[in-house]
Amino acid sequence: MSDTPILSVRNIRKTYGGIEVLKGVSFDLERGQSKIVIGPSGTGKSTLLRCINLLSPPDDGSVILDGVTVEQKGINQLRAQIGFVFQEFNLFTHLCVLDNVRLAQRNVLGRSRHEATRRAMEELERVGLADKLDAYPAELSGGQKQRASIARALAMDPKLILFDEPTSALDPELTGEVVQVMKELANAGMTMLVVSHEMGFAKAAADEVIFMEGGVIVEQGPPSTLFTQPEHARTSQFLQMLTHEHHET
Amino acid sequence: MTDFIEFGRTWMPFLLEGVGVTVGLWAVAMVLGFCLALVLVWARVYASKPLYLLATLYVEVFRGTPMLVQLFFIYLGLPEIGIVLDPFTAAAVAIGLNSAAYQAEYFRGAIQSLPSGQMIAARAMGMSRFQALRDIILPQAGRRVIPQWSNEAIVELKYTSIAYAIGLTELTSRAEQVGYQTFQFLEAFTLVAIIYLVLTGIVAQTLDFVEKRTRVPGLTNSGGKMS
Ligand SMILES: Nc1ncnc2c1ncn2[C@@H]1O[C@H](COP(=O)(O)OP(=O)(O)OP(=O)(O)O)[C@@H](O)[C@H]1O
Ligand SMILES: [Mg+2]
Repeated sequence: MSDTPILSVRNIRKTYGGIEVLKGVSFDLERGQSKIVIGPSGTGKSTLLRCINLLSPPDDGSVILDGVTVEQKGINQLRAQIGFVFQEFNLFTHLCVLDNVRLAQRNVLGRSRHEATRRAMEELERVGLADKLDAYPAELSGGQKQRASIARALAMDPKLILFDEPTSALDPELTGEVVQVMKELANAGMTMLVVSHEMGFAKAAADEVIFMEGGVIVEQGPPSTLFTQPEHARTSQFLQMLTHEHHET
Repeated sequence: MTDFIEFGRTWMPFLLEGVGVTVGLWAVAMVLGFCLALVLVWARVYASKPLYLLATLYVEVFRGTPMLVQLFFIYLGLPEIGIVLDPFTAAAVAIGLNSAAYQAEYFRGAIQSLPSGQMIAARAMGMSRFQALRDIILPQAGRRVIPQWSNEAIVELKYTSIAYAIGLTELTSRAEQVGYQTFQFLEAFTLVAIIYLVLTGIVAQTLDFVEKRTRVPGLTNSGGKMS
């Protein structure tokens, strides 16, 4: 059983306003695996993540989560098993950190207040926010906000977590703490699909890199090979551009 | 000055008897307006196109015609089609229907000023739309709308005086009665103005207190933006 992929994305297509953004994307994610998705802006990376949990339902193709097809019927219980971490954090402004992490546990998983608190505290401790339980999101730094939103995802005990550019909204000096938490998660065996150009994470924690362009996967492979000997010219061009950007900033 | 105090001693109790009617009318109208506003705002923000258009028409009609015309329409006009309301009910309905249009617009502004990402985050964790509305949108929009809602409550409190036009013995009409009995209109309307000021002051202070008590960092009100 444990050798079937935890997530199987089959030939996903998505069209927005007559433009096909995803042109048939397929890949698998094994239990405990971390994959990182890179690619130029507007290539459909965010759309791909949103198709997986049907925030934007794909026009065609299928998503299979641990043997179960992800479909509108029972979607809320399926979404509860797929964590989602956003670039802009999307913490609930009116709730303190602890309540942010408790809310969906109570609403969706039906956990008792006591149980939800216990799980929230565990995950907040894990991301280093045990001393910020009563703080409101506006009182946190960007890095702390993102760590809180990771704790919020983790407390749902998801089968995998999708990250959409989790460090892109952060000041450069704050990306480190978030990348550190993500590396620890990957090492602890969490299954992760990460859209990010954070090379530190890719090299240290990703099992595989997926390069997307124009709505298709151009190539994928372990970071050691993809970064050093990419098969496609487009991949190496993109990687070169990335390194240039990094040197400039 | 001593004359005025003496005048007040004599006539204040009679005027204060009108406070019950005025405040009662206001409270019924505000509650009616609030409930209807929730339906309207749902129709304007979340419902299908026909319902949206219907709610929009409602808001435009009630904001675009004089309150007094609405009141006469209900009290004097509706009996022609067999709907006869006593003055209190007619006034409460008229003010309530009118207030609903304004309250709905304030709620809508507050809801639409919220960043959409939080709704998406809630749905992504498996919360239903209802749960997200109840636990995220409503508490945030509710906090943001308090200053405008407070303003609306005060406007409606003053509007209750139009019930005088259909013969309801509320505060303003009592002041007029005192004036005709004593021929001291200046004193009579000064007294009633003081009573209105105290009432609106209480409403403003109470809602100000609620706003301060529920305030959360990062969730400032959108006050001042709407006209
Ligand atoms: N809800 C939407 N409605 C219409 N068009 C959309 C929508 N979401 C995305 N698109 C379009 O789909 C294309 C892919 O967008 P997407 O956000 O998935 O790209 P991305 O790879 O995540 O880019 P970035 O690196 O800039 O985040 C873009 O051209 C975008 O304009
Ligand atoms: Mg994106």
